[in-house]
Amino acid sequence: MTVGAIGAIGALSGVTPIAANALTAATPAASGGFADALTKGVDSLQATQSNVDSLAVKAATGDLTDVHDYTIAATQASLMTELTVTLRNKALDAFNEIMRMPI
Amino acid sequence: MPLFDAISIAGSGVDVYRSWLDAVSDNLANLDTARPTNQPAFQARYIVAQSVNYGGSGGGAMVARAAFGDAKGVLVYSPNSPLADAKGYVRYPDIDEGEQMTQLIMAQRGYQANLAVVSRAQAAYMAAINVGRS
Repeated sequence: MTVGAIGAIGALSGVTPIAANALTAATPAASGGFADALTKGVDSLQATQSNVDSLAVKAATGDLTDVHDYTIAATQASLMTELTVTLRNKALDAFNEIMRMPI
Repeated sequence: MPLFDAISIAGSGVDVYRSWLDAVSDNLANLDTARPTNQPAFQARYIVAQSVNYGGSGGGAMVARAAFGDAKGVLVYSPNSPLADAKGYVRYPDIDEGEQMTQLIMAQRGYQANLAVVSRAQAAYMAAINVGRS
């Protein structure tokens, strides 16, 4: 009985790089914790805005039972937007302040 | 949304008062819904409100179920009505218009009070966001 020859071991393929998280790369990195908080804030803002959009469509087509649902959700979304913009402004100010320090 | 609890709680309260307004308008629309005596009368609709998360985090109110009034109604003697039975009686709903108008005013004021909470809470949170802005 003949035994077949063992095949040669193939070369190792390169490791695929992990895709960088674009959002954390864009925010000013004062510290890792703050960048994560800002990312989470923007994500929840996105969810709130999409909820408001769907409610607006329902209000326009006449499917909305409670008209106050849409206006209250729009109020919450505008408050969250204000909060996120203020956070971003404060973070930018702090970053610029540090960059302006003479060496 | 956990960030603006007061606005979400007031939103749930507004839902309850809107249901109450619907029930009162239904009762007022059917004040003269006559039925023959062999059928139950039109029953007035009441809203049973229930608190949400009492003592826990958050809060609010919800409509637990609708309760219905008396099915016997009021027997009114009107022999010329096409629905009258052999003795000339027709069954009218047992709804007091004065009481329903009072409930209408209470439902309206509750609705407006909860919406006032929403706008006041929004002004309060905007003041917090504006801290140190300039």
